[in-house]
Amino acid sequence: MSVPDSVPPAGSGDGPSRGAKGLRSNAIGFVSSTVIGVASTAPGYSLAATLGFVAAAVGFQSPAIMIVAFIPMLFIATSYFYMNRADPDCGTTFTWVTKAMGPRAGWMGGWAIIVADVIVMANLAQIAGLYSYELVGWTAAAESTWAVTFLGVLWILLMTWIVGRSVELSAKTQNWLLGAELATLGAFAVVALYKVYADSPPGSVEPSLSWINPFAIDSFSALVSGVLLAVFIYWGWDSTVTVNEETKDSSRTPGLGALTATVILVLTYVIVSVAAQAYGGVDQLVENSDDVLSSLGTAVFGSPWDKILIIAVLTSAAASTQTTILPTARTSLSMARAKALPEKFGEVHERFFTPFFSTWVMGISSIVWYVGLTLLSENILYDSIAALGLMIAFYYGITGFACAIYYRRELLKSAKNFFFIGVCPVLGALMLTGILVKSVIDLSDPANSESGDSWLGLGPPLVIAILFAVIGLGLMLYWNKVSPVFFKRKPEVADPAVLTGEKQAVASFAAEED
Amino acid sequence: MPGIVVGIDGSTCSNMAVAEGAVLAGELGEKLYVVFGYEPYRAGGEIQDHRLALEELGLQVGNKAVEEAKEAGADAELMLVDRDSVDALIATADEVDARMIVVGSYGDSPLKGAILGSTPHKLVHLSKRPVLVVHGKEED
Repeated sequence: MSVPDSVPPAGSGDGPSRGAKGLRSNAIGFVSSTVIGVASTAPGYSLAATLGFVAAAVGFQSPAIMIVAFIPMLFIATSYFYMNRADPDCGTTFTWVTKAMGPRAGWMGGWAIIVADVIVMANLAQIAGLYSYELVGWTAAAESTWAVTFLGVLWILLMTWIVGRSVELSAKTQNWLLGAELATLGAFAVVALYKVYADSPPGSVEPSLSWINPFAIDSFSALVSGVLLAVFIYWGWDSTVTVNEETKDSSRTPGLGALTATVILVLTYVIVSVAAQAYGGVDQLVENSDDVLSSLGTAVFGSPWDKILIIAVLTSAAASTQTTILPTARTSLSMARAKALPEKFGEVHERFFTPFFSTWVMGISSIVWYVGLTLLSENILYDSIAALGLMIAFYYGITGFACAIYYRRELLKSAKNFFFIGVCPVLGALMLTGILVKSVIDLSDPANSESGDSWLGLGPPLVIAILFAVIGLGLMLYWNKVSPVFFKRKPEVADPAVLTGEKQAVASFAAEED
Repeated sequence: MPGIVVGIDGSTCSNMAVAEGAVLAGELGEKLYVVFGYEPYRAGGEIQDHRLALEELGLQVGNKAVEEAKEAGADAELMLVDRDSVDALIATADEVDARMIVVGSYGDSPLKGAILGSTPHKLVHLSKRPVLVVHGKEED
């Protein structure tokens, strides 16, 4: 527990003014910023859900894809870094895009975040439910869709309750879950690699340097499909950048936590994917692509230690449910404070200090989506993951463009500005747009979806994405009619002083209006 | 002149603590520092609007508490501190060299407090200054 140098009073004299601006924020420690960065990305679940599909696309070069997929994220991260600097009072795609490109684009950006989060929570709940039964060895329940759905719903309720009820419990839960997740993944990698070298079990392949060489991938198309899948694994990593930027006024080394979190993530992805394919070969990953880690766990550890990987994925899914509800509820809180959503979403609980209403709306929406989808068909649940990729690519991409647009008058002032505020974000945004376009084309063919169903001649994932875009447009128009204040906002341009550090912009929507 | 630090949140429970603190401060002729400590959990990012919303809540309930304390005869001042409530209380008490810290308790069971986090419980153990815990009841 640290003690600050001083805590200036919020105000003086009779009543405090809005003097809280003068308050020193609690500098976030190195360890907590690292934990938050890694936790927000949920490495265990990401690996379990994507490794098999990545292996199917690029064969032995999955570890290379884990590195390459990081590149567009890194570029987009520069836009997060600079937008956060211009507007440290808000850390959302919604706010930044509204500022740079106007309220309608901003609203759709916020909507994409909310929808993506609500959808992924259903998938996380499914994994958490399934793995809970596998952990206790109750096979009959694990095979029953309804038993899994029931437990999945309980998981969402539990995580929503934790996030809404107590900040402290949220943090404690997250630390424990993350610790268990990384420890079990690490144990898996060590044991698997040891066995490959010591026993060389049937089907195993000794790791080769070519595995991390992206140029060893024979087709460009395979590279793109691999990156598309793997962009998903770095989803959430952006909060590492914005959370850490807050430490810039403190005496602590800024960004060190972000850097460490990033190194831990990339290493985890590369090492675990190397270990997984060294032990079982590519075919084994592809055959079990729905659930790579638990099938490998049995082979690597043998009973009962195979439960270790079940714990890794279970804890990761649970932790990820939590880190998904948090930013979603805050995005709707931000939108409500900007009058882009009803006021109720902007309220914080007077005792729990959480966006209580927003949190529960998001939790319940996920449950409705999850149960509704399960009623339709379980395969659609997997298809919704592909739809998710489209939404993530959309809102990351639009954030990259927003950065260059917002800073357009500053770009030519120095080579550094041009490169970091112009070239990097736009390059990242273009990559994500390219990925978006390519997957829209791919997904328009029903054969490329998990269910193989054809909805109106298109693949279900694309239909899901289009459906949500249409619902979003509808809601936006409706809200525009009910409460036009937000939509009258004009796009803004960056204040030059923000970049030179002479001035730190403090304007947020809510503050401006007060 | 040492003062008295009283911790508040947005609930009615903390009113009891403010009332008690105001009486003590009035009788001793010392200043009452009304502290609203808040800090959103940072995981998942996007915390700034959340923080502003908490700040507004703090201003709203804090100003009310200061008013009530003044009516009770204490010289009261509101302090919004962007930190976890226990940290905020200890740091502010150190800053103003307070005689004691006054907080309200919801009367939650120790187990519940251990799971969800209990400000009075932690404060009693961590603060080097005397802590006065006032039992408040939650009125909805």
